[in-house]
Amino acid sequence: MGTTAIAMEQHQADPLKKTALYERHKALGAKFVEFNGWEMPIRYEGTVSEHNAVREHVGLFDVSHMGRVSIRGKDAEKFLDYLSTNKVQGMASVAALYTIWCHENGGSVDDLLVYREDDNTFFVIINAGNRAKSLAHLNHYAKDFDVTIEPHYDNESIIAIQGPLAKALMSQIFPESSLITNMHFAKIPYIDEKILLSATGYTGAGGFEIYAPSQYIESIWDLILEKGNSLNIKPVGLGARDTLRLEMGFVLYGHEINDSIAPTESIGAWCVKLDKGNFLGKQALIALESSTDKRKEYAIKLIDQGIMRENADVYKDGKKIGITTSGGFSPTLKKSIGIVLTKEKLHTGETVEVAIRGSSYKAEVVATPFIKVKSGAD
Amino acid sequence: MKFTETHEWIKIQNDNIAVVGVSNHAQEELGEIVYVELPQIGKNVQAGKESAVLESTKAAADVYAPVSGKIISINQELSSSPELVNASPEDKGWLYTIELSNLKELDKLMDKDAYLSSLK
Repeated sequence: MGTTAIAMEQHQADPLKKTALYERHKALGAKFVEFNGWEMPIRYEGTVSEHNAVREHVGLFDVSHMGRVSIRGKDAEKFLDYLSTNKVQGMASVAALYTIWCHENGGSVDDLLVYREDDNTFFVIINAGNRAKSLAHLNHYAKDFDVTIEPHYDNESIIAIQGPLAKALMSQIFPESSLITNMHFAKIPYIDEKILLSATGYTGAGGFEIYAPSQYIESIWDLILEKGNSLNIKPVGLGARDTLRLEMGFVLYGHEINDSIAPTESIGAWCVKLDKGNFLGKQALIALESSTDKRKEYAIKLIDQGIMRENADVYKDGKKIGITTSGGFSPTLKKSIGIVLTKEKLHTGETVEVAIRGSSYKAEVVATPFIKVKSGAD
Repeated sequence: MKFTETHEWIKIQNDNIAVVGVSNHAQEELGEIVYVELPQIGKNVQAGKESAVLESTKAAADVYAPVSGKIISINQELSSSPELVNASPEDKGWLYTIELSNLKELDKLMDKDAYLSSLK
């Protein structure tokens, strides 16, 4: 038996970084995987049962491989609006906003949440694989603005509590959380520090993310698992995090967007506000709009039995039209789903063919999200 | 039952007909199997070459034929219940039966004790 994907993930020259919850994962029987230089739990009990726990009840994730960076100063709003394809200007306080950052040439730097604490204080959450790049990006463009940039990479941890029962569970543990509406957050005291409770997530199931000093993360993790026990809470690994986000048609950096895929070409194009004021990459994105080189991403669902993966060739009427940027198994649909990047205009209901190990499999173009969600979020 | 270094097992049923599957260790490494691609009946396969594919939630894994020969039958239950490979890898989750073309190839394989100690 041989598996190239797993073998590649295990090859890494530098020692892998571990989150503050590493020992907890080990004690819970996690299987680990290398992810962007981090040794992260890929699954505990099993990806499908963890996925279903989040869709049906509640699940707990360690996402401390992502990094928080504060941006403060009188130009903070202007600065982040300049870097963001979504509109940061005018954002309400204690709100969060999803955006993609662009290079000047239109390629995507990162996708992230921007949080506004008050007039002059913001923070952002950077993807694990982009910690260094996005911090350098911030520092590079900060030169022209009155802002200070402070990463919290080394002393903070992040966990996510997701699922239709996540809000009920959180309100038992942190009563303040019941006042937080979707895409908003609150800073609350915890022991002798402050933690951030954010009604956000990347699963489509609703819930919270918690940003906390690393010295307290184990106690918070334990508390949530203990109180969640009666709700059948499960710890959830990166395997299910990927199937959950893919079922929603959410962008994963390095797949649907990267340095050479523009945000407007991606499935995350909805967040790009080309009609807002000037922002980094705007000219390139506007030029791309009228270019024949512009590609787009579409959601596809395999009709035939089988599993499509990333980088599979996609054909229409026998002609190659593009490749998949993500692909996998949807535990909810029990079908393979994926995203295709193509210059061809596709329409919902159309059939395309996906090449899997030399054979052609039929797939249907569908709308996102792939599934109807049961969410406790709103 | 004999094992390969690549985590397949083979068990002689009678004469030169054997049943093939993957080890418990293999299914543990792969995680939940969500789809199994089996060879066509009548196909000739070569020892050490790809003979089936197990798709887990995360990755596809090739199953190498432990011996050379002709595929006689496949486990039809796996098309609706691929999870049998996880639940019962060395019994109900068998993949196919094969008619061996060279019984001597079995001599190169490990017995269960040798296989289990190779995992340590």
